[in-house]
Amino acid sequence: MAAGHGPIEQFEIKELVPIELFGINASLTNSGAYMIAALGLIFGFLYFSTGGRSLVPTRLQSISEILYEFVATTVRENIGTKGMQFFPLVFSLFIFVLVLNLFGMIPIPGVTFTVTSHIAVTASLAILVISIVILYGLYKHGLGFFGIFVPSGVPIALYPLLIPIEIISFISRPISLSVRLFANMLAGHIALKIFASFIGLLLGAGVWAILAPLPLLLTIALTALEVLVAVLQAYVFAVLTCIYLSDAVHGSH
Amino acid sequence: MSPAGKGSDQNDGEISPEDRAEFKKRSAELGRKLEAARPGEDEVAKSAKETANREVLGRVLRLSTELIGGILVGTALGWWLDTYLMPQVFGAKTWPLMFIVFFLLGSAAGMLNVIRSGMKMKTGPSDPSKGPAVRDDEDGDI
Repeated sequence: MAAGHGPIEQFEIKELVPIELFGINASLTNSGAYMIAALGLIFGFLYFSTGGRSLVPTRLQSISEILYEFVATTVRENIGTKGMQFFPLVFSLFIFVLVLNLFGMIPIPGVTFTVTSHIAVTASLAILVISIVILYGLYKHGLGFFGIFVPSGVPIALYPLLIPIEIISFISRPISLSVRLFANMLAGHIALKIFASFIGLLLGAGVWAILAPLPLLLTIALTALEVLVAVLQAYVFAVLTCIYLSDAVHGSH
Repeated sequence: MSPAGKGSDQNDGEISPEDRAEFKKRSAELGRKLEAARPGEDEVAKSAKETANREVLGRVLRLSTELIGGILVGTALGWWLDTYLMPQVFGAKTWPLMFIVFFLLGSAAGMLNVIRSGMKMKTGPSDPSKGPAVRDDEDGDI
C-alpha cells in the first residue's frame, strides 16, 4: 500500500494556517476548517431557507421546518414541554454533528476529513452536555439534584452498594456518549477505506482482477450504511442529550 | 343556480343533460385523482413503522457502549483509587482491592445502563398518543 493510502491517513490533522497564541498552538487545522465550513453551511442554509417565511413553504423552507419539527418532537417526547428551553442547545448539537458526519461522506481524496471521528471533538461536546446537566440541575434543585444517585424503592441497607453504582453509571454517560459517536465514525471510515483498497489490490493481481467487482459492491453497500450511521448517530446524540437533560429538569427519578 | 328571472326558456338555470353527464364524469375523475394522491392507509402505517424502526435501531446502537462505558469508568476509578488516592493521600496499600471492587461495581453500573435503555426500548417513547415503539410483552412483567 502506497504512503498516504493507508486506512488511517484520512484521520490525520493537518495545519493549514499556523497560528501561535500565547505559546499555545492555535493553528487552523483541517478539523477546524471543516467545523467553520459546517457552521457556515448551517447558518447560510437556515438563514436563506427561512428568509421567505411564506405560509405555503418552498422546498428549502420545508426542509428547515421538517428539521425543526423533528428536533422539537424529540425534545418534547424525552424532556416534556418544559424542556423546550433546551431546544436551541439540542438543535445546535444535532445539526452540527449531522453536518460534520455527512461532510465526512463526501469523497474528495486528501481533503475529506471526518471531524467527529476524533474523540477530542466528541468528548468536548459530551463534556458541554454533562456540564449543562450538572449546572442546571444544581441551579434548579440545589443539592437535591444529587437525589438522582439515590435509587427509589430500595431498602436503606443496600444504599452503600447502589449509590456507587449509580454514581459510576452517571459518570459513564459522557464517556459512552463521546465514545459511541467517535468509534462509530472511526470504525466506519476505516472499514470503507479497507474494502475500497481491496479493489485496487485485486485489479493489480492478474487473474484475480475478476473478483474486483465484489469489494466494489461491498463498498457501495457500506457507503449507504455509513450515510445511515452518520444520520443515526447524530440522532442518538440528540436523544441522549435530551434524556440526560431530562434528569436535570425533573430531578430524581 | 336559481333562474335568473327571464323565464322564457324552460331550461334556464338548469344545465343540459349532456353537461350534467360531463360534469359527473369530471367530478368522478377528480375523486379518483384525489384518492390516488392521498397516501393510503398502508402508506401511513408503513411510514409509522419506519419511524418506529428508526427509533429502535437508534436505541440498539446505544446498548453496547452503555455496558463498556460503565466497566471503563468503574475500572479506571478503582485503578486511580489504588495507585493514587489510597497510597499517596491516606498511605494505605490497597492494590488490587479497590481495582477489583470497582471493576465489579462498574460492571454492575454498565448492566444498569443497558437495562435502563432496554426498558425504554420496551416501553417506547413517553408520549402516550404515539404508543410504544415495541409492543409490551403480554404478561406485562416490566
